[in-house]
Amino acid sequence: MAFAIHLVRQIANAVALLLAVLVLNFCLIHLAPGDPVQVIAGEMGGASADVVAALRAKYGLDHSLAEQLFTYLGNIAHGDFGYSYYFNEPVLGLIAQRLPATLYLTLCALVMSVIIGTLLGITSARRPNGIFSHTVTVFSLAGYAAPIFWTGLLLLLLFGSVWPILPVVGMTDVVHPKQGFSYIVDVARHLVLPALTLALVFIAQYSRLARVNMIEALSADYIRTARAKGLPEWLVIGKHALRNTLIPIVTVVGLQFGNLFAGAVLVETVFSWPGMGRLVFDSILRRDYPTLMAVLFFSAMMVMAANIVTDIVYRLIDPRIRTGRP
Amino acid sequence: MTTLQTSTPLAIEPLDLPARPAASPARAALRQFLRSPSGVIGLCLLIVLVLGTAVGPILYPVDPLDLVGGPFTPPSADAWLGTDYLGRDVLAGLIYGGRATLTVGAVAALITIAIGLTVGALSGFFGGAVDAILVKLTEFFQILPPLLFAMVLVTLFGQKLTTITLAIGAVSWTSAARLTRAEFMRLRNLDFVKAARTAGAGNAHLILRVLLPNALPPVIVSATLAIGVAILFEGGLSFLGLGDPNVMSWGLMLGQNRNYVLDAWWAVTFPGAAIFLAVLAISLVGDGINDAANPRLRRRT
Repeated sequence: MAFAIHLVRQIANAVALLLAVLVLNFCLIHLAPGDPVQVIAGEMGGASADVVAALRAKYGLDHSLAEQLFTYLGNIAHGDFGYSYYFNEPVLGLIAQRLPATLYLTLCALVMSVIIGTLLGITSARRPNGIFSHTVTVFSLAGYAAPIFWTGLLLLLLFGSVWPILPVVGMTDVVHPKQGFSYIVDVARHLVLPALTLALVFIAQYSRLARVNMIEALSADYIRTARAKGLPEWLVIGKHALRNTLIPIVTVVGLQFGNLFAGAVLVETVFSWPGMGRLVFDSILRRDYPTLMAVLFFSAMMVMAANIVTDIVYRLIDPRIRTGRP
Repeated sequence: MTTLQTSTPLAIEPLDLPARPAASPARAALRQFLRSPSGVIGLCLLIVLVLGTAVGPILYPVDPLDLVGGPFTPPSADAWLGTDYLGRDVLAGLIYGGRATLTVGAVAALITIAIGLTVGALSGFFGGAVDAILVKLTEFFQILPPLLFAMVLVTLFGQKLTTITLAIGAVSWTSAARLTRAEFMRLRNLDFVKAARTAGAGNAHLILRVLLPNALPPVIVSATLAIGVAILFEGGLSFLGLGDPNVMSWGLMLGQNRNYVLDAWWAVTFPGAAIFLAVLAISLVGDGINDAANPRLRRRT
């Protein structure tokens, strides 16, 4: 029950913050140099005089700022995030088409990075001064410093021309469309490189985090107790030490979901993955502001959702939070 | 060791005081830093990169925006690292581009830290309503993915190097603010702060002269890392087509040549490697400073 109340409060907080993002978007439209109509229509959208007049009326641009804000929020409450004059389509539809592919890529990379990162960290913590541990340390330094778009281009170069065993473009084989099971295999093959590129950065960070926390956990008294009572080593590590190693990782996953999402946008433009990345790229090129602002809003929404999920996962891992005991 | 001259023999041997006067905290920290291998390697790498962009033009006097040859000329004696899609010299681009990229990184990091310190210090020092408002503000900025937010700012306010720098600074201050806030809250109730307050120190004096110096070590580490993050952001923005087309930078080279990666690997590989090395150097230096600033933490890792 206490949890239900907590969850409701969390969601209310999320809604308030998202409302604030909309207000921010509204302020940006008005702060940007030039006529707000231009911003709403998109600079190179080729908005005709009629369109401009229609937009003026629709967004109430001749009224006071407060009224304009209410009109803006009202439109969004009806699912109207504006119209992309470049794509000739409502912005909401554009986002709805692209979001699934991006989520698919993001979640795959997330799962990959958490599992591989934790495993690398745990294994290297077993012998903190061994060769494997040093290799992981060097790898995580390099993985952190390598710009994600550059790693992507290098992998594209490697698998695109030197060693063509994996597809480097798109999500499916356009020339030989597949059906049924081989369709799934096809998508999975296309997913490998983008997901790996995106995951590398986060594997680097999580392995470092897992290593530090595992080393600390292994020196704790409860681990000595667990070993003393004769628990097999894999249970000591896999159950007792792992919990305390996972907590900081869950925190960081929650904090970094926004970066993961932004990383996905960059990676998608490298591998022509048909998600939000290409949309963002084209919108920037055409100065399609409504689309860009909607992307910002929906990414904030994803981050909020991720935060709420993180909070729930926390409670599953850490009984102290569940029971409220220190 | 010549020490005290006393007429009566001492019952106890004089303490074996260090011959040198006690090292100042800064010097002690420097010594610690130089003992950290990652810090030293990073610093050397960073010096090489900065020197390269500083004296490079003397040794390799080629204008990075000039068309020196045909497009996609592979590395040769004329253009050591080849030419890009327009026929501009890649090595000259690296030298001049490094100036812009490193400057953007440093200035954006300064802005990040300035905002983060201000928000965090006010929030942690005053607590109460001020804290509640500033924490909400931080929370708000945290749900906006920094790169995407910077992207919106740069598209709206123009693709100029100053706008890019300001945008990067404006979107990435939240972790510095949280860090500063936590430090201030921890320090606020310690005895030396209470003593200063009892002695009549005003809020401004307490924040700037008493708390700030003690809160700085972890903030310096995060400031160092912020330079690396800003450099990655400059690259990311340019990669999305939001670089300043009039100023050569590492990010711009990558962004403009990305579509020709299969025709001219050198035009994207080298600028990317430059960003990689710069960020690597900076995070190594950050590790070194961390070791020097928090000797306590070092034992744990």
